[in-house]
Amino acid sequence: MLLTSCYRLFYPTWSVNVLGMPLARSMSITSLSGLEEWDEEFDLEDAVLFEIAWEVANKVGGIYTVIQTKARLTVEEWGENYFLVGPYVESNVRTQVELIEPTDPALKRTIDKMNSSGCKVYFGRWLIEGSPYVVLIDVAFTAWSLDKWKTELWNNFSIGVPWFDREANDAVLFGFLTAWLLGEYAAQCEDPPHILAHFHEWLAGLGLALCRQRQLPVATIFTTHATLLGRYLCAGSVDFYNNLAQFNVDKEAGDRQIYHRYCLERTAARCAHVFTTVSQITAVEAEHLLKRKPDIITPNGLNVKKFSAMHEFQNLHAQSKNRIQEFVRGHFYGHLDFNLDKCLFLFIAGRYEFSNKGADIFLEALARLNYLLRVNHSEVTVVAFFIMPARTNNFNVETLKGQAVRKQLWDTAHLVKERFGKKLYESLLIGQLPDVSKMLDKEDFTMMKRAIFATQRQCQPPICTHNMLEDSTDPILTCIRRIGLFNSSSDRVKVIFHPEFLSSTSPLLPMDYEEFVRGCHLGVFPSYYEPWGYTPAECTVMGIPSISTNLSGFGCFMEEHIADPSAYGIYILDRRYRGVDESCNQLTSYLFQFCQQSRRARIIQRNRTERLSDLLDWRYLGRYYIAARHMALAKAFPDTYYYQPHESDTNQGFRYPRPASVPPSPSLSRHSSPHHSEAEEDDDRYDEDEEAEKDRVNIRQPLPLPSKKGPAVPYGLPVPSANGNGDRATKGEKN
Amino acid sequence: MPAAADQAYVTLATTDSYCMGALVVGQCLRRHGTTRHTVVMVSPNVSRQARAALGQVFDHVLVVDVLDSGDWAHLYWLGRPELGVTFTKIHCWTLTQYRKCVFLDADILVLCNVDELFEREELSAAPDPGWPDCFNSGVFVFRPSLDTHARLLEHARYHGSFDGGDQGLLNTFFSDWAVKDIKKHLPFVYNLSANTMYTYLPAYQQYGHNAKIVHFVGLVKPWNLCSASQTSLPINSQLEEFVYQCPSQQQSPGCGERPKGTEDRALLIDDFTEPLLREVTLGTDQRPDPPRQLRETHTKPEDVSTVKDGGAKHNAPGPIEEHEPERRWLWEEGHIDYLGKDSFDNIQKKLDRFLD
Repeated sequence: MLLTSCYRLFYPTWSVNVLGMPLARSMSITSLSGLEEWDEEFDLEDAVLFEIAWEVANKVGGIYTVIQTKARLTVEEWGENYFLVGPYVESNVRTQVELIEPTDPALKRTIDKMNSSGCKVYFGRWLIEGSPYVVLIDVAFTAWSLDKWKTELWNNFSIGVPWFDREANDAVLFGFLTAWLLGEYAAQCEDPPHILAHFHEWLAGLGLALCRQRQLPVATIFTTHATLLGRYLCAGSVDFYNNLAQFNVDKEAGDRQIYHRYCLERTAARCAHVFTTVSQITAVEAEHLLKRKPDIITPNGLNVKKFSAMHEFQNLHAQSKNRIQEFVRGHFYGHLDFNLDKCLFLFIAGRYEFSNKGADIFLEALARLNYLLRVNHSEVTVVAFFIMPARTNNFNVETLKGQAVRKQLWDTAHLVKERFGKKLYESLLIGQLPDVSKMLDKEDFTMMKRAIFATQRQCQPPICTHNMLEDSTDPILTCIRRIGLFNSSSDRVKVIFHPEFLSSTSPLLPMDYEEFVRGCHLGVFPSYYEPWGYTPAECTVMGIPSISTNLSGFGCFMEEHIADPSAYGIYILDRRYRGVDESCNQLTSYLFQFCQQSRRARIIQRNRTERLSDLLDWRYLGRYYIAARHMALAKAFPDTYYYQPHESDTNQGFRYPRPASVPPSPSLSRHSSPHHSEAEEDDDRYDEDEEAEKDRVNIRQPLPLPSKKGPAVPYGLPVPSANGNGDRATKGEKN
Repeated sequence: MPAAADQAYVTLATTDSYCMGALVVGQCLRRHGTTRHTVVMVSPNVSRQARAALGQVFDHVLVVDVLDSGDWAHLYWLGRPELGVTFTKIHCWTLTQYRKCVFLDADILVLCNVDELFEREELSAAPDPGWPDCFNSGVFVFRPSLDTHARLLEHARYHGSFDGGDQGLLNTFFSDWAVKDIKKHLPFVYNLSANTMYTYLPAYQQYGHNAKIVHFVGLVKPWNLCSASQTSLPINSQLEEFVYQCPSQQQSPGCGERPKGTEDRALLIDDFTEPLLREVTLGTDQRPDPPRQLRETHTKPEDVSTVKDGGAKHNAPGPIEEHEPERRWLWEEGHIDYLGKDSFDNIQKKLDRFLD
């Protein structure tokens, strides 16, 4: 009974038109297999790309990761004509930049000219993959111009910047300096090239607005990775998504004293030739809060490392899982009444934002799952890890003791084994079969009894591995107290809160984050506000299934690209159109379902998950950036470039009727029936290669190849379904 | 009032621009109902108009010959040539018609009645924030005495002044101030340096609102920040700014918050100094130092790190009037009319002028 209702919750999700806002895009590329080289039709010979962000060679937040990982691909595309522009921070330059003479003569003249006019501009190579060129500007050095520039800002834009907002003042300096750089560069080029400037986030946005205001020959792109106001509103526990259209944005920003920042951000969005965000959900946010609909979505990718051995990631999972099991053995010493082989490791990780990251509904769902597993007499035990750094006063004694006790038992067992082995050996030497009853003598038993005695434990295994500074007010601990998940022996769901980032040097759980993720079975990220969400993406490329939401950029992206995401271990929770309680039920049903899967089903699922990693590789997602750049060039230099907007597919939207010609993706329900036994496994024919081939068909193709100016036939727009499905049909036949 | 007749506040003005500060000192004392006499010493170069203005506020206006320390190399090295003139200060010991006096620099702002200072003995002063074992000579209690005066001059002749100004001289003369008698240590609130407050921000936030006297040490003086042509608003906002903006140069978390009480202070300044200031600037027919010069002093190499936010607080000359500088100042202060004139719709109209 209960299960049926779970399934009812489960299925309707796929038919929901997720956001109801189709964006310009179409599909065509044939397959993901091997990702055949991007067919570069655009002539970029005389084009130069500047990518400008406050986090270039300067780690402050997540944008750094985006830019740093993307660099290699962009360098491959643009070569010598690609320059990242960021602020000069000495400590960063010392560790990650090699300063060199500017390679491009025009840029050299530009930098020399600026340096002789009272700036400090540096040129170098950023020592990351791809070693892109960087232009770093010392913002503080030009602070003497702040008043002059703020006056100019006021006169031209009617935007003022309060003196007490250091960051915003930096944004003013950085903006004017980057606009100066671009303007000077344009002037220094004999043959004016086609300059393309890509600005990230509001901190760099003013440079864009100035380029437009000064009518510089620059094509501009503005990418926001989240909106300022959205972040503030969500942090203030506002019913954000339901009221998105109703906010009086000026008032909300003004009341929160970020009006000037918001103005800078919105100005940049308004002025850009092309405006992009990282996900569908952020696109909706931007449309309402910045009042401009993004022209294209530019999702964030990863640099996926491919293992030469096909199933290497499965082996790594097994290795890491063993290490987590060891930790769990120690943590639950004296209460190890559950079978570790039937134990599933779930985890949530990220910044400690209790409700934004969805820790609240995760805990609630765990409590419900606990109940379900108990009433169904399930043998499965779930251990849920919370990896969220909070203020602590180091490890607590009880957890450290647990690991010490485990170590001691291990040592004792080893010692007894040695003695046992020696006796065995001696017995064999004299040509006798050993007398088993004499193999262990009294001393051995005493030793073992003593060891067992040490594992006696009065208290229950701890929830938290550390001593919390704000123990009584901590939201996770408070919630656990309320729902009563205290790791008692009857609980089928155990909780471990590790309020510190993982480190391979920790005495407790000596693993780094990546190893830990590999060893887990499922990542759970039921975030309420998550513009992109690298955590589930990282799970995916390691072949670990995850739960995300349709309010996270990652969830939206996957939902859009995969016909049946949950079959691939990408569970997407509906938090947009459902109340908290309903979402929580849905999460519970996902978790319960996951617990019902056999080991074999999980292995197959991990294979499927891992196959999706191509989809998250920059090699693939970089295409969105390429499209955005072409779009901007075509808008700014219409005489030279041509970009076909794909209006025709707007009416298509992205609904999810599974294409008729595509074989149905492996259905999950088979594996998750409650009384599923290992014997049935054998009927489940699973051919990895065959399925992988099907997957390529199943994964939606994202983007048209942007086309070029001139006589080349503008990108033929055959009815997308005819093209795509036709292709697929023939493929299917071959199989 | 017998107790009051032989006690006086003494201040000093050596240029017309310092006269504006002196006026503020005199006016503040009056306003807070002091029962003591007020005396201003002026050097001969101060114009007659300025003296006249001072005469309206002070009980006595005394003309004093400028004594120059003569230690020019020293002074130059310190980069504060105008301090040499403050040697004139020690002439205050010749005011023997008074039994006890409180000296106040012209660049201070008295925020409440401070007559209790007269209960202190010579030489009582507050520690200098830069070197708390020295006292700051902006506010001190002393007993006029020709003997002391002579010894001071002697001391100056033989030992000079280690900082080239009066403070160095007085500190070596009253060398036991730091250790001898704690009663001679005035609480810091009697001489709160306006531009060093933030070196210990939490303390400032805790105690700042208790300030009784604020001292605008350094090169930039509040009266320098306005030009005669500007209206009342910039005077207000700049004085106001001066009170808590110089500290903002050392940005630290939370410095956006204003300590309690500063609002009233700013209003207070505006209320009664503005007409007087204007009177002086017009009367002397001499404009105060233009902002340009200030900017230059601000960008001396050692200042580079702090210029960033503070170096450019004043209106640049030029077409600014057409662009409603008042509104810009309101933005700068964080008072934005985001529901009215400053709404994004209006900004967007401006943007759309250059966007096709």
